Amino acid sequence: MPDRRETRRVTAAGRQPKGRMERLNRFVLALSVPLFLGSWEILSRSEIVNVILFPPPSTVGIALVDWLSSGQLLTDFGMSLSRVVVGFVSGASCGILIGVLTGRYVFAANLLGPIFQLLRPIPPIAFVPIVILWFGLGELGKYFLVFWGVFFTVWIAAHLGVQRVDEKLIRAARTLGTPEHRMLREVLLPGSLPYIFVGLRTSVGISFYTLVAAELAGTFAGLAYRIDIAQQNLQMGQMMGGLVMLGVIASAADKLFSVFANRIVWWQ
Amino acid sequence: MISRDLQQKQGTKGHISIRDMSVIFGEREDAFIAVDRVSVDIESGEFLCIVGPSGCGKSTVMNAIAGFEFPTEGTVSLDGIAIEGPGADRGMVFQQPTLFPWKNVRANVAHGPRMHNKSNAEANSIADGLLEMVGLSAFADSRPQTLSGGMQQRTAIARALANTPSVLLMDEPFGALDAQTRLMMQESLLKIWSEIRPTVVFVTHDIDEAIFLADRIIVMSASPGRILREITVDLPRPRAAEMTLDASFVALKRQCMDLIRTESLRAFEQQTR
Repeated sequence: MPDRRETRRVTAAGRQPKGRMERLNRFVLALSVPLFLGSWEILSRSEIVNVILFPPPSTVGIALVDWLSSGQLLTDFGMSLSRVVVGFVSGASCGILIGVLTGRYVFAANLLGPIFQLLRPIPPIAFVPIVILWFGLGELGKYFLVFWGVFFTVWIAAHLGVQRVDEKLIRAARTLGTPEHRMLREVLLPGSLPYIFVGLRTSVGISFYTLVAAELAGTFAGLAYRIDIAQQNLQMGQMMGGLVMLGVIASAADKLFSVFANRIVWWQ
Repeated sequence: MISRDLQQKQGTKGHISIRDMSVIFGEREDAFIAVDRVSVDIESGEFLCIVGPSGCGKSTVMNAIAGFEFPTEGTVSLDGIAIEGPGADRGMVFQQPTLFPWKNVRANVAHGPRMHNKSNAEANSIADGLLEMVGLSAFADSRPQTLSGGMQQRTAIARALANTPSVLLMDEPFGALDAQTRLMMQESLLKIWSEIRPTVVFVTHDIDEAIFLADRIIVMSASPGRILREITVDLPRPRAAEMTLDASFVALKRQCMDLIRTESLRAFEQQTR
Protein backbone atom coordinates (compact mmCIF):
# COMPACT_ATOMS: atom_id res chain seq x y z
CA MET A 1 0.00 0.00 0.00
CA PRO A 2 2.54 2.62 0.95
CA ASP A 3 4.35 1.83 -2.26
CA ARG A 4 1.38 2.65 -4.41
CA ARG A 5 0.76 5.94 -2.67
CA GLU A 6 4.39 6.81 -3.20
CA THR A 7 4.09 6.17 -6.92
CA ARG A 8 0.98 8.28 -7.22
CA ARG A 9 2.60 11.18 -5.51
CA VAL A 10 5.57 10.97 -7.82
CA THR A 11 3.49 10.99 -10.99
CA ALA A 12 1.35 13.83 -9.70
CA ALA A 13 4.40 15.83 -8.82
CA GLY A 14 5.91 15.03 -12.20
CA ARG A 15 2.86 15.96 -14.24
CA GLN A 16 1.26 18.95 -12.63
CA PRO A 17 4.10 21.47 -12.71
CA LYS A 18 4.74 20.75 -16.38
CA GLY A 19 1.95 23.07 -17.56
CA ARG A 20 2.54 25.46 -14.69
CA MET A 21 6.28 25.58 -15.31
CA GLU A 22 5.75 26.28 -18.97
CA ARG A 23 3.39 29.18 -18.24
CA LEU A 24 5.79 30.54 -15.66
CA ASN A 25 8.69 30.27 -18.08
CA ARG A 26 6.80 32.17 -20.77
CA PHE A 27 5.82 34.82 -18.26
CA VAL A 28 9.44 35.28 -17.19
CA LEU A 29 10.50 35.50 -20.83
CA ALA A 30 7.97 38.26 -21.52
CA LEU A 31 9.06 40.05 -18.36
CA SER A 32 12.77 40.18 -19.17
CA VAL A 33 12.92 43.49 -21.04
CA PRO A 34 10.20 45.44 -19.13
CA LEU A 35 11.71 44.38 -15.80
CA PHE A 36 15.11 45.63 -16.86
CA LEU A 37 13.76 48.95 -18.15
CA GLY A 38 11.60 49.41 -15.05
CA SER A 39 14.46 48.83 -12.62
CA TRP A 40 16.62 51.18 -14.64
CA GLU A 41 13.93 53.87 -14.60
CA ILE A 42 13.47 53.54 -10.83
CA LEU A 43 17.19 53.46 -10.17
CA SER A 44 17.74 56.68 -12.15
CA ARG A 45 14.75 58.56 -10.79
CA SER A 46 15.40 57.59 -7.16
CA GLU A 47 18.61 59.62 -7.45
CA ILE A 48 20.71 56.84 -5.98
CA VAL A 49 22.87 57.55 -8.99
CA ASN A 50 23.51 60.83 -10.76
CA VAL A 51 20.53 61.23 -13.08
CA ILE A 52 22.54 63.37 -15.51
CA LEU A 53 25.19 60.71 -16.02
CA PHE A 54 22.71 57.85 -15.80
CA PRO A 55 19.49 59.04 -17.39
CA PRO A 56 16.36 56.84 -17.20
CA PRO A 57 15.15 54.94 -20.29
CA SER A 58 12.36 57.46 -20.82
CA THR A 59 14.99 60.17 -21.39
CA VAL A 60 16.87 57.84 -23.72
CA GLY A 61 13.63 57.16 -25.58
CA ILE A 62 13.00 60.87 -26.06
CA ALA A 63 16.55 61.33 -27.31
CA LEU A 64 16.00 58.51 -29.79
CA VAL A 65 12.79 60.11 -31.07
CA ASP A 66 14.55 63.46 -31.46
CA TRP A 67 17.40 61.75 -33.26
CA LEU A 68 14.98 60.07 -35.62
CA SER A 69 12.85 63.14 -36.32
CA SER A 70 15.92 65.24 -37.10
CA GLY A 71 16.59 62.79 -39.94
CA GLN A 72 20.07 62.26 -38.61
CA LEU A 73 19.37 58.75 -37.30
CA LEU A 74 18.59 57.41 -40.75
CA THR A 75 21.81 58.84 -42.19
CA ASP A 76 23.88 57.51 -39.31
CA PHE A 77 22.22 54.14 -39.54
CA GLY A 78 22.71 53.98 -43.31
CA MET A 79 26.35 54.97 -43.11
CA SER A 80 27.15 52.43 -40.40
CA LEU A 81 25.26 49.68 -42.14
CA SER A 82 26.93 50.33 -45.49
CA ARG A 83 30.38 50.11 -43.85
CA VAL A 84 29.53 46.82 -42.19
CA VAL A 85 27.99 45.38 -45.34
CA VAL A 86 30.79 46.38 -47.70
CA GLY A 87 33.51 45.28 -45.27
CA PHE A 88 31.77 42.06 -44.36
CA VAL A 89 30.91 40.99 -47.89
CA SER A 90 34.37 41.72 -49.29
CA GLY A 91 36.16 40.21 -46.28
CA ALA A 92 33.98 37.12 -46.26
CA SER A 93 34.27 36.48 -50.03
CA CYS A 94 38.05 36.81 -50.00
CA GLY A 95 38.23 34.72 -46.82
CA ILE A 96 36.18 31.87 -48.29
CA LEU A 97 38.00 31.90 -51.62
CA ILE A 98 41.49 31.91 -50.15
CA GLY A 99 40.54 29.58 -47.29
CA VAL A 100 39.28 26.94 -49.70
CA LEU A 101 42.50 27.23 -51.72
CA THR A 102 44.87 27.06 -48.74
CA GLY A 103 42.81 24.26 -47.23
CA ARG A 104 43.10 22.13 -50.37
CA TYR A 105 46.46 23.01 -51.90
CA VAL A 106 49.69 22.69 -49.93
CA PHE A 107 51.27 25.19 -52.30
CA ALA A 108 48.77 27.90 -51.34
CA ALA A 109 48.92 26.94 -47.66
CA ASN A 110 52.71 27.16 -47.62
CA LEU A 111 52.75 30.44 -49.48
CA LEU A 112 50.08 32.24 -47.47
CA GLY A 113 49.61 30.29 -44.24
CA PRO A 114 52.60 31.56 -42.23
CA ILE A 115 52.03 35.21 -43.05
CA PHE A 116 48.29 34.98 -42.37
CA GLN A 117 48.97 33.32 -39.04
CA LEU A 118 51.18 36.27 -38.14
CA LEU A 119 48.72 38.94 -39.26
CA ARG A 120 45.60 37.23 -37.93
CA PRO A 121 46.14 37.84 -34.19
CA ILE A 122 46.74 41.59 -34.60
CA PRO A 123 43.57 43.27 -33.29
CA PRO A 124 42.07 45.24 -36.18
CA ILE A 125 41.69 48.24 -33.86
CA ALA A 126 45.47 48.52 -33.72
CA PHE A 127 45.37 49.43 -37.40
CA VAL A 128 43.28 52.54 -36.83
CA PRO A 129 46.20 55.03 -36.66
CA ILE A 130 47.79 53.64 -39.80
CA VAL A 131 44.48 53.50 -41.63
CA ILE A 132 43.91 57.20 -40.94
CA LEU A 133 47.25 58.03 -42.54
CA TRP A 134 46.61 55.72 -45.48
CA PHE A 135 43.01 56.50 -46.25
CA GLY A 136 42.25 59.71 -44.32
CA LEU A 137 38.76 59.95 -42.91
CA GLY A 138 37.12 58.55 -46.06
CA GLU A 139 34.99 55.47 -46.38
CA LEU A 140 37.77 53.29 -47.77
CA GLY A 141 39.50 53.21 -44.40
CA LYS A 142 36.31 52.05 -42.67
CA TYR A 143 35.80 49.31 -45.23
CA PHE A 144 39.38 48.27 -44.78
CA LEU A 145 39.12 47.88 -41.00
CA VAL A 146 35.93 45.83 -41.16
CA PHE A 147 37.43 43.79 -44.00
CA TRP A 148 40.50 43.10 -41.91
CA GLY A 149 38.47 41.91 -38.94
CA VAL A 150 36.26 39.65 -41.03
CA PHE A 151 38.78 38.27 -43.49
CA PHE A 152 41.03 36.30 -41.15
CA THR A 153 38.20 34.80 -39.15
CA VAL A 154 36.47 33.56 -42.28
CA TRP A 155 39.73 32.46 -43.85
CA ILE A 156 40.71 30.22 -40.94
CA ALA A 157 37.17 28.77 -40.78
CA ALA A 158 37.17 27.94 -44.50
CA HIS A 159 40.73 26.61 -44.35
CA LEU A 160 39.96 24.22 -41.48
CA GLY A 161 36.54 23.41 -42.92
CA VAL A 162 37.98 22.19 -46.20
CA GLN A 163 40.53 20.05 -44.39
CA ARG A 164 37.78 18.49 -42.32
CA VAL A 165 35.60 17.51 -45.27
CA ASP A 166 34.99 13.77 -44.92
CA GLU A 167 37.74 11.99 -46.84
CA LYS A 168 35.23 9.29 -47.83
CA LEU A 169 33.12 11.89 -49.67
CA ILE A 170 36.18 13.02 -51.61
CA ARG A 171 37.01 9.42 -52.48
CA ALA A 172 33.47 8.78 -53.60
CA ALA A 173 33.59 11.89 -55.77
CA ARG A 174 36.84 10.72 -57.33
CA THR A 175 35.44 7.30 -58.21
CA LEU A 176 32.57 9.14 -59.88
CA GLY A 177 35.08 10.87 -62.11
CA THR A 178 34.93 14.34 -60.55
CA PRO A 179 37.83 16.31 -62.04
CA GLU A 180 40.00 18.19 -59.55
CA HIS A 181 38.93 21.64 -60.73
CA ARG A 182 35.29 20.80 -60.10
CA MET A 183 36.03 19.14 -56.76
CA LEU A 184 36.23 22.59 -55.16
CA ARG A 185 32.74 23.65 -56.08
CA GLU A 186 31.07 20.25 -56.02
CA VAL A 187 32.46 18.76 -52.82
CA LEU A 188 34.95 20.88 -50.88
CA LEU A 189 32.95 24.09 -50.74
CA PRO A 190 29.60 22.54 -49.76
CA GLY A 191 31.38 20.12 -47.43
CA SER A 192 33.06 22.96 -45.56
CA LEU A 193 30.03 25.27 -45.53
CA PRO A 194 28.98 24.31 -42.00
CA TYR A 195 32.40 25.43 -40.73
CA ILE A 196 32.43 28.50 -42.94
CA PHE A 197 29.10 29.60 -41.52
CA VAL A 198 30.39 29.36 -37.97
CA GLY A 199 33.21 31.69 -39.04
CA LEU A 200 30.82 34.01 -40.85
CA ARG A 201 28.56 34.31 -37.85
CA THR A 202 31.45 35.12 -35.55
CA SER A 203 32.49 37.71 -38.11
CA VAL A 204 29.14 39.48 -37.94
CA GLY A 205 29.98 40.41 -34.34
CA ILE A 206 33.56 41.27 -35.23
CA SER A 207 32.47 43.55 -38.06
CA PHE A 208 30.39 45.61 -35.62
CA TYR A 209 33.16 46.18 -33.15
CA THR A 210 35.66 47.05 -35.84
CA LEU A 211 33.02 49.44 -37.15
CA VAL A 212 32.90 51.22 -33.79
CA ALA A 213 36.69 51.53 -33.71
CA ALA A 214 36.67 52.84 -37.26
CA GLU A 215 34.00 55.44 -36.56
CA LEU A 216 35.55 56.64 -33.30
CA ALA A 217 38.75 57.29 -35.21
CA GLY A 218 37.01 60.00 -37.15
CA THR A 219 34.25 60.33 -39.70
CA PHE A 220 31.24 62.53 -40.46
CA ALA A 221 28.28 60.23 -39.81
CA GLY A 222 27.53 56.89 -38.21
CA LEU A 223 26.06 55.38 -35.04
CA ALA A 224 29.31 55.19 -33.09
CA TYR A 225 30.35 58.59 -34.40
CA ARG A 226 27.10 60.02 -33.00
CA ILE A 227 27.93 58.56 -29.58
CA ASP A 228 31.29 60.25 -29.74
CA ILE A 229 29.78 63.63 -30.65
CA ALA A 230 27.11 63.32 -27.95
CA GLN A 231 29.84 62.75 -25.40
CA GLN A 232 31.44 66.04 -26.28
CA ASN A 233 28.09 67.78 -25.64
CA LEU A 234 27.32 65.67 -22.56
CA GLN A 235 24.10 64.43 -24.21
CA MET A 236 23.76 61.30 -22.09
CA GLY A 237 20.41 60.33 -23.56
CA GLN A 238 21.79 60.53 -27.07
CA MET A 239 24.84 58.47 -26.11
CA MET A 240 22.76 55.72 -24.62
CA GLY A 241 20.39 55.90 -27.56
CA GLY A 242 23.39 55.24 -29.76
CA LEU A 243 24.25 52.17 -27.71
CA VAL A 244 20.67 50.94 -27.99
CA MET A 245 20.78 51.34 -31.77
CA LEU A 246 24.06 49.43 -32.00
CA GLY A 247 22.61 46.67 -29.84
CA VAL A 248 19.44 46.45 -31.92
CA ILE A 249 21.16 46.43 -35.30
CA ALA A 250 23.90 43.97 -34.27
CA SER A 251 21.52 41.48 -32.70
CA ALA A 252 19.11 41.81 -35.64
CA ALA A 253 22.01 41.11 -38.01
CA ASP A 254 23.00 38.06 -35.99
CA LYS A 255 19.44 36.75 -35.92
CA LEU A 256 18.95 37.35 -39.63
CA PHE A 257 22.22 35.62 -40.29
CA SER A 258 21.36 32.50 -38.35
CA VAL A 259 18.07 32.16 -40.25
CA PHE A 260 19.95 32.62 -43.51
CA ALA A 261 22.60 30.09 -42.44
CA ASN A 262 20.01 27.45 -41.58
CA ARG A 263 18.54 27.81 -45.04
CA ILE A 264 21.81 27.52 -46.89
CA VAL A 265 23.30 24.73 -44.78
CA TRP A 266 19.98 22.92 -44.61
CA TRP A 267 21.49 19.45 -44.37
CA GLN A 268 23.05 20.10 -40.98
CA MET B 1 15.49 0.14 -71.70
CA ILE B 2 18.22 1.74 -69.65
CA SER B 3 19.49 -1.66 -68.62
CA ARG B 4 19.72 -2.80 -72.23
CA ASP B 5 21.70 0.32 -73.10
CA LEU B 6 24.05 -0.33 -70.23
CA GLN B 7 24.50 -3.96 -71.16
CA GLN B 8 25.33 -3.08 -74.75
CA LYS B 9 27.97 -0.61 -73.70
CA GLN B 10 29.43 -3.21 -71.38
CA GLY B 11 30.39 -5.55 -74.22
CA THR B 12 33.51 -7.42 -73.22
CA LYS B 13 34.87 -4.65 -71.07
CA GLY B 14 35.70 -4.96 -67.40
CA HIS B 15 38.47 -7.55 -67.47
CA ILE B 16 40.72 -7.00 -64.47
CA SER B 17 44.16 -8.47 -64.38
CA ILE B 18 46.29 -8.48 -61.25
CA ARG B 19 49.82 -9.81 -61.74
CA ASP B 20 52.22 -10.59 -58.88
CA MET B 21 50.96 -7.63 -56.96
CA SER B 22 52.54 -6.76 -53.62
CA VAL B 23 51.55 -3.72 -51.61
CA ILE B 24 53.97 -2.73 -48.88
CA PHE B 25 53.22 0.12 -46.50
CA GLY B 26 56.03 1.95 -44.71
CA GLU B 27 59.78 1.61 -45.16
CA ARG B 28 62.51 -0.75 -43.95
CA GLU B 29 61.88 -2.05 -40.44
CA ASP B 30 58.45 -0.42 -40.30
CA ALA B 31 57.48 -2.04 -43.57
CA PHE B 32 54.21 -3.89 -43.49
CA ILE B 33 53.33 -6.29 -46.26
CA ALA B 34 49.61 -5.79 -46.78
CA VAL B 35 49.40 -7.85 -49.95
CA ASP B 36 51.96 -10.45 -50.93
CA ARG B 37 52.32 -11.50 -54.58
CA VAL B 38 48.69 -11.77 -55.48
CA SER B 39 47.72 -12.75 -59.01
CA VAL B 40 44.16 -13.00 -60.19
CA ASP B 41 42.20 -12.52 -63.37
CA ILE B 42 38.65 -11.32 -63.11
CA GLU B 43 36.59 -11.97 -66.20
CA SER B 44 34.31 -9.46 -67.80
CA GLY B 45 30.89 -9.68 -66.16
CA GLU B 46 32.09 -11.99 -63.39
CA PHE B 47 30.88 -11.66 -59.82
CA LEU B 48 33.92 -12.16 -57.60
CA CYS B 49 33.91 -12.11 -53.83
CA ILE B 50 37.01 -11.68 -51.70
CA VAL B 51 36.74 -13.05 -48.18
CA GLY B 52 39.21 -13.37 -45.35
CA PRO B 53 39.90 -12.32 -41.80
CA SER B 54 40.39 -8.64 -41.02
CA GLY B 55 43.82 -7.41 -41.99
CA CYS B 56 44.19 -9.92 -44.83
CA GLY B 57 44.56 -7.15 -47.39
CA LYS B 58 41.22 -7.69 -49.12
CA SER B 59 40.39 -4.00 -48.97
CA THR B 60 43.89 -3.16 -50.19
CA VAL B 61 43.35 -5.33 -53.27
CA MET B 62 40.08 -3.51 -53.88
CA ASN B 63 41.70 -0.11 -53.37
CA ALA B 64 44.40 -1.04 -55.87
CA ILE B 65 41.71 -1.77 -58.46
CA ALA B 66 39.94 1.48 -57.53
CA GLY B 67 43.20 3.39 -57.95
CA PHE B 68 43.53 4.59 -54.36
CA GLU B 69 46.57 2.40 -53.66
CA PHE B 70 49.37 1.45 -55.98
CA PRO B 71 51.21 -1.85 -56.15
CA THR B 72 54.73 -1.73 -54.73
CA GLU B 73 55.47 -4.56 -57.13
CA GLY B 74 53.50 -6.14 -59.94
CA THR B 75 50.67 -4.65 -61.95
CA VAL B 76 46.94 -4.06 -61.90
CA SER B 77 45.23 -3.41 -65.18
CA LEU B 78 41.76 -3.01 -66.55
CA ASP B 79 41.22 -4.19 -70.13
CA GLY B 80 44.97 -4.17 -70.63
CA ILE B 81 45.55 -0.63 -69.39
CA ALA B 82 47.43 -0.12 -66.12
CA ILE B 83 45.34 1.58 -63.44
CA GLU B 84 46.76 4.99 -62.57
CA GLY B 85 44.06 6.42 -60.32
CA PRO B 86 40.35 6.44 -59.60
CA GLY B 87 38.14 6.67 -62.66
CA ALA B 88 34.55 6.60 -63.73
CA ASP B 89 35.04 3.22 -65.43
CA ARG B 90 35.14 1.69 -61.94
CA GLY B 91 32.14 2.57 -59.78
CA MET B 92 32.60 2.07 -56.07
CA VAL B 93 30.26 1.46 -53.15
CA PHE B 94 31.76 1.94 -49.71
CA GLN B 95 30.90 0.36 -46.37
CA GLN B 96 29.44 3.58 -45.03
CA PRO B 97 27.07 5.42 -47.31
CA THR B 98 29.03 8.30 -48.77
CA LEU B 99 26.17 10.23 -50.30
CA PHE B 100 26.61 13.98 -50.56
CA PRO B 101 24.36 15.29 -47.77
CA TRP B 102 23.77 18.59 -49.58
CA LYS B 103 22.25 16.92 -52.63
CA ASN B 104 18.96 15.11 -52.82
CA VAL B 105 18.83 11.48 -53.90
CA ARG B 106 18.39 12.25 -57.61
CA ALA B 107 21.21 14.81 -57.64
CA ASN B 108 23.50 12.32 -55.91
CA VAL B 109 22.90 9.73 -58.62
CA ALA B 110 23.16 12.38 -61.35
CA HIS B 111 26.53 13.58 -60.04
CA GLY B 112 28.65 11.22 -62.14
CA PRO B 113 26.98 11.95 -65.49
CA ARG B 114 27.10 15.68 -64.73
CA MET B 115 30.85 15.39 -64.17
CA HIS B 116 31.04 13.93 -67.65
CA ASN B 117 29.48 17.02 -69.16
CA LYS B 118 26.00 15.65 -69.55
CA SER B 119 23.33 18.32 -69.35
CA ASN B 120 21.29 18.47 -66.17
CA ALA B 121 18.25 17.08 -67.98
CA GLU B 122 20.24 14.16 -69.38
CA ALA B 123 21.90 13.44 -66.04
CA ASN B 124 18.58 13.57 -64.22
CA SER B 125 16.93 11.20 -66.66
CA ILE B 126 19.81 8.71 -66.21
CA ALA B 127 19.36 9.09 -62.45
CA ASP B 128 15.62 8.55 -62.62
CA GLY B 129 16.10 5.38 -64.65
CA LEU B 130 18.55 3.95 -62.12
CA LEU B 131 16.43 4.98 -59.16
CA GLU B 132 13.58 3.07 -60.72
CA MET B 133 15.81 0.05 -61.03
CA VAL B 134 16.78 0.14 -57.35
CA GLY B 135 13.18 0.85 -56.35
CA LEU B 136 13.68 4.36 -55.04
CA SER B 137 11.75 6.46 -57.58
CA ALA B 138 9.47 7.72 -54.82
CA PHE B 139 12.46 9.07 -52.91
CA ALA B 140 14.20 10.94 -55.73
CA ASP B 141 13.60 14.30 -54.08
CA SER B 142 14.39 13.14 -50.55
CA ARG B 143 17.44 14.14 -48.59
CA PRO B 144 19.81 11.18 -48.22
CA GLN B 145 19.98 11.46 -44.43
CA THR B 146 16.24 10.89 -44.16
CA LEU B 147 16.57 7.45 -45.81
CA SER B 148 17.21 4.18 -43.99
CA GLY B 149 20.67 2.59 -44.18
CA GLY B 150 19.53 0.11 -46.82
CA MET B 151 17.97 2.81 -48.97
CA GLN B 152 21.11 4.91 -48.69
CA GLN B 153 23.19 2.00 -49.93
CA ARG B 154 20.78 1.39 -52.81
CA THR B 155 21.19 5.05 -53.73
CA ALA B 156 24.94 4.59 -53.53
CA ILE B 157 24.72 1.60 -55.89
CA ALA B 158 22.60 3.59 -58.33
CA ARG B 159 25.10 6.44 -58.12
CA ALA B 160 28.02 4.11 -58.79
CA LEU B 161 26.22 2.69 -61.84
CA ALA B 162 25.30 6.07 -63.30
CA ASN B 163 28.59 6.36 -65.21
CA THR B 164 27.94 2.96 -66.83
CA PRO B 165 31.15 1.59 -65.30
CA SER B 166 32.45 -1.73 -66.57
CA VAL B 167 33.48 -2.61 -63.01
CA LEU B 168 31.55 -2.24 -59.77
CA LEU B 169 33.70 -2.34 -56.63
CA MET B 170 31.94 -3.01 -53.37
CA ASP B 171 33.76 -2.82 -50.05
CA GLU B 172 31.57 -4.56 -47.45
CA PRO B 173 28.63 -2.47 -48.62
CA PHE B 174 26.04 -4.30 -46.52
CA GLY B 175 28.21 -4.70 -43.43
CA ALA B 176 26.40 -2.02 -41.46
CA LEU B 177 22.89 -3.25 -42.25
CA ASP B 178 20.65 -5.50 -40.16
CA ALA B 179 20.33 -9.14 -41.22
CA GLN B 180 16.89 -8.79 -42.84
CA THR B 181 17.78 -5.71 -44.89
CA ARG B 182 21.03 -7.33 -45.82
CA LEU B 183 19.33 -10.32 -47.41
CA MET B 184 17.01 -8.08 -49.40
CA MET B 185 19.94 -6.00 -50.56
CA GLN B 186 21.82 -9.10 -51.69
CA GLU B 187 18.86 -10.26 -53.73
CA SER B 188 18.34 -6.89 -55.32
CA LEU B 189 22.05 -6.55 -56.06
CA LEU B 190 21.97 -9.89 -57.93
CA LYS B 191 18.96 -8.69 -59.88
CA ILE B 192 20.71 -5.47 -60.87
CA TRP B 193 23.86 -7.35 -61.77
CA SER B 194 21.99 -9.82 -63.97
CA GLU B 195 20.34 -6.91 -65.79
CA ILE B 196 23.46 -4.93 -66.63
CA ARG B 197 26.25 -7.40 -65.96
CA PRO B 198 29.18 -5.27 -64.83
CA THR B 199 32.21 -7.05 -63.43
CA VAL B 200 31.67 -7.02 -59.66
CA VAL B 201 34.41 -7.25 -57.06
CA PHE B 202 32.79 -7.61 -53.67
CA VAL B 203 34.74 -7.63 -50.41
CA THR B 204 33.10 -9.17 -47.37
CA HIS B 205 33.91 -11.17 -44.28
CA ASP B 206 30.53 -12.87 -44.36
CA ILE B 207 30.86 -16.31 -45.95
CA ASP B 208 27.12 -16.75 -46.50
CA GLU B 209 27.03 -13.47 -48.36
CA ALA B 210 30.00 -14.46 -50.52
CA ILE B 211 28.54 -17.85 -51.49
CA PHE B 212 25.12 -16.38 -52.15
CA LEU B 213 26.44 -13.69 -54.47
CA ALA B 214 29.57 -14.93 -56.16
CA ASP B 215 30.59 -16.87 -59.23
CA ARG B 216 33.95 -17.32 -57.61
CA ILE B 217 35.32 -16.68 -54.13
CA ILE B 218 38.88 -15.79 -53.31
CA VAL B 219 39.84 -16.67 -49.75
CA MET B 220 42.72 -14.59 -48.45
CA SER B 221 44.98 -15.16 -45.48
CA ALA B 222 46.28 -12.57 -43.07
CA SER B 223 49.79 -11.21 -42.56
CA PRO B 224 51.00 -11.28 -45.19
CA GLY B 225 47.86 -11.01 -47.33
CA ARG B 226 47.91 -13.90 -49.78
CA ILE B 227 45.40 -15.80 -51.82
CA LEU B 228 44.78 -19.00 -49.94
CA ARG B 229 42.30 -20.65 -52.25
CA GLU B 230 39.86 -19.95 -55.03
CA ILE B 231 36.45 -21.53 -54.76
CA THR B 232 34.11 -21.69 -57.72
CA VAL B 233 30.48 -21.32 -56.77
CA ASP B 234 28.49 -23.25 -59.35
CA LEU B 235 25.12 -22.81 -57.70
CA PRO B 236 22.39 -22.13 -60.26
CA ARG B 237 21.13 -18.63 -60.92
CA PRO B 238 18.88 -16.77 -60.32
CA ARG B 239 19.43 -17.34 -56.64
CA ALA B 240 16.88 -16.77 -53.92
CA ALA B 241 17.25 -16.50 -50.18
CA GLU B 242 15.86 -20.02 -49.55
CA MET B 243 18.84 -21.42 -51.40
CA THR B 244 21.03 -20.81 -48.35
CA LEU B 245 19.41 -23.89 -46.80
CA ASP B 246 20.24 -26.24 -49.71
CA ALA B 247 22.72 -29.05 -49.15
CA SER B 248 25.04 -27.77 -51.89
CA PHE B 249 25.12 -24.34 -50.30
CA VAL B 250 25.84 -25.76 -46.87
CA ALA B 251 28.60 -27.99 -48.25
CA LEU B 252 30.32 -25.00 -49.86
CA LYS B 253 29.94 -23.05 -46.67
CA ARG B 254 31.54 -25.82 -44.65
CA GLN B 255 34.46 -25.94 -47.06
CA CYS B 256 35.03 -22.20 -46.77
CA MET B 257 34.66 -22.15 -43.03
CA ASP B 258 37.15 -24.97 -42.53
CA LEU B 259 39.63 -23.13 -44.67
CA ILE B 260 39.21 -19.89 -42.81
CA ARG B 261 39.23 -21.54 -39.41
CA THR B 262 42.49 -23.35 -40.12
CA GLU B 263 43.89 -20.12 -41.42
CA SER B 264 42.79 -18.05 -38.42
CA LEU B 265 44.22 -20.65 -36.05
CA ARG B 266 47.53 -20.58 -37.87
CA ALA B 267 47.60 -16.78 -37.76
CA PHE B 268 46.66 -16.81 -34.09
CA GLU B 269 49.45 -19.25 -33.25
CA GLN B 270 51.90 -17.21 -35.25
CA GLN B 271 50.98 -14.08 -33.30
CA THR B 272 51.14 -15.74 -29.90
CA ARG B 273 54.34 -17.63 -30.52
